[in-house]
Amino acid sequence: MTAHVLPPAPAVQRPRVLVVGAAFAAAASFTVFIGLIGIYLAARVDVVGSGAAWLPEGATIPLQQPNTMFITLIMSVFTMQWAVAAIAKNDRVNSYLAMGLTLMLGIATIVMTTYLWYLMELDIASGIQGVLIYTITGAHIVMLVLAMLFVALMGLRALGGQFTARQHDGITAAAVFWYAMVAVYALIWISIYVTK
Amino acid sequence: MALTDTRPETGTDASAVAPSVVPSPLTIFGTGDHKAVGTFYVLAALVFGIAGWVAAALSLGHEVGSNSFLSSSTAMQLGQTSDLGLILLVIVPLFLGLGTYIVPLQVGASTVAFPRAAAAAMWTWLLSSGIFIVASFIDGGFGGSREKSVSLTLMGLGGLIVALLLGTVCVLTTAVTLRTPGMTLDRVPMFTFSMLVGGAIWLLTLPVLLANLLLIWVDHRYSGGTTFGAAATQFEQVSWITHEPQIYAFLIPGLGIIADVIATLTGARLAQRNIFLFAIGAFGVLSVGAWAQPAIYPSVSDDLVWQAMGLLMLLPVLVFFGGVAKALKDGKPSLKSPLGLAVVSLLLTLLAVFAGALLVITPLELRASNVFATGQFVLAIAAALAAAAAGIGYWGPKMTGGQSADGLGKLNVLVLLGGGALGGLSLCVMGFSNRFTGLDGAHDVLIIVSSIGCALLALGGALALLGLLSGARKGAPEAAADAWGTGQTLEWACPSPPPTGNFGDLAIVRSPEPLLDEEV
Repeated sequence: MTAHVLPPAPAVQRPRVLVVGAAFAAAASFTVFIGLIGIYLAARVDVVGSGAAWLPEGATIPLQQPNTMFITLIMSVFTMQWAVAAIAKNDRVNSYLAMGLTLMLGIATIVMTTYLWYLMELDIASGIQGVLIYTITGAHIVMLVLAMLFVALMGLRALGGQFTARQHDGITAAAVFWYAMVAVYALIWISIYVTK
Repeated sequence: MALTDTRPETGTDASAVAPSVVPSPLTIFGTGDHKAVGTFYVLAALVFGIAGWVAAALSLGHEVGSNSFLSSSTAMQLGQTSDLGLILLVIVPLFLGLGTYIVPLQVGASTVAFPRAAAAAMWTWLLSSGIFIVASFIDGGFGGSREKSVSLTLMGLGGLIVALLLGTVCVLTTAVTLRTPGMTLDRVPMFTFSMLVGGAIWLLTLPVLLANLLLIWVDHRYSGGTTFGAAATQFEQVSWITHEPQIYAFLIPGLGIIADVIATLTGARLAQRNIFLFAIGAFGVLSVGAWAQPAIYPSVSDDLVWQAMGLLMLLPVLVFFGGVAKALKDGKPSLKSPLGLAVVSLLLTLLAVFAGALLVITPLELRASNVFATGQFVLAIAAALAAAAAGIGYWGPKMTGGQSADGLGKLNVLVLLGGGALGGLSLCVMGFSNRFTGLDGAHDVLIIVSSIGCALLALGGALALLGLLSGARKGAPEAAADAWGTGQTLEWACPSPPPTGNFGDLAIVRSPEPLLDEEV
């Protein structure tokens, strides 16, 4: 007679604390930009409504660099998701590679933003436009640097052997914040660079 | 899963040594214990509260007569600093402190989520508050003449908003992810639910204030203060957090405290609990005010949505009021001070919302001057302070391990009711002076009455502080785990004060009142 064997108890559901926390932080960061861009759009409507041009004399916003940054950041979404998918399969080498590529794409975006600032020839003291554009794009660079630090920290923790296929909340959380940062750029791209 | 199954993180020996009652400065540096962090928030916010109401009384007193003891620039900066300070240094941190302490206990967690981040948030808030206060007092308030002091004020404000947001993320994450088995979101205690709603609204609105401050700072620092940083318009850009509908966002956790206090001190389950949940949720939705910025949108007070929000806000408050009245009628109210403070808070909330509804009615022309809106602000902040005082009285035995002196609490019921009513209503009455010319002559009297009200509110903060400390004094009667004997939620299942790890084994929660199920 064979003994009746009960199926094993289900694994304890790990609360995804870090992912939820990162989502809240991403939502708060996103809201900062909603506020900034709302003020930007309101100011632009006022200036244009008064019959003046939005950008001051001599200033220009080329589209090539913002488009390149957008494509770069969209690529970074794929590399970040690659990192998450790889660690979920315990493929650590691919995960390290993907996080490294994501960081490189982030650095490329910072370089391109500073180059764009140089090309714009927009003085911060030129009026409301300079203050708004530099504050918004500068704040986005700050968010990008924070996202890069998050990814780098999780990469180091992964190198230390902390994440597994079953438990990789840290990398997922960094990815959530990264996606929010890219979403913010999408807003900036359409509001500042495209519809100028 | 067995009834006594325990999650790994809650598997702590309940007989572990309880922490000291009020954290000593030596132990609190570096601690990530949510109880120490929460207590420190509450203590510091109460001290700031006393100072804030005194500053408000002084800035109002400046309006009396012609021989002012303050220059108008100083009085204006003092008033603006106290307005922002009462929200960001007092009310939000008071609720956040209670949330950091109580929410993990209410959801059956061993700790707050990200305990080190919660501690870092508290210290950053404290440091930034110090910077904000000092910079404001060296002519660095909004529109101040010392450029570097103004920069410092803006940085201090920015720092404390970031800190409050970080602390809010910790509390929200605790409520979302660390609930004990069986505690679904509709079963969480009212205070936890109200922190969820309130915290979410803070996360969606305070970053916009940060955006305002960022623009003011960049313009002030790098562009000569010609647009956003212009001295005359700086405060106008951030003043939306002191006006409706945003001001209500800082009252939301108070509703949860009121509901929890009423349920416990009437000794009965809240009937039609979903109505309370709806009222708190609707109150939260109607308090989103980051879009209503007069500096950006000058005609906002003519906006139909803004006016509708002001009027509709009456609905959830009246529903909530009805629920509380029914609970008091059906239950057996125990006449303890937290119950009285909860009722005072609800009355002041009702007055604030009623004043807000009058404010949006254009034919009344109450927006012609800022006086009526200031009266509404005082009523709202007094309501929040009374709710926080109710929470401190209610959970004080849990926090200190000793029974607080209830006499102090009962005195505080009168003080806060008097302070809120005198401080707020007198200004509201004065707001009608555009319609009733006879009120012009009463200007000085009404301002003096309002100043006295603000002074009483400062006294109310001091009494709440003394009440909390009285539970920690030597010789205070020891508080039982269920200090009121009629506790319904999980915080009353752990010892007072809770040991490290809070709980031992916890049963699976099967209703919103798990302790009553246990008794059955």
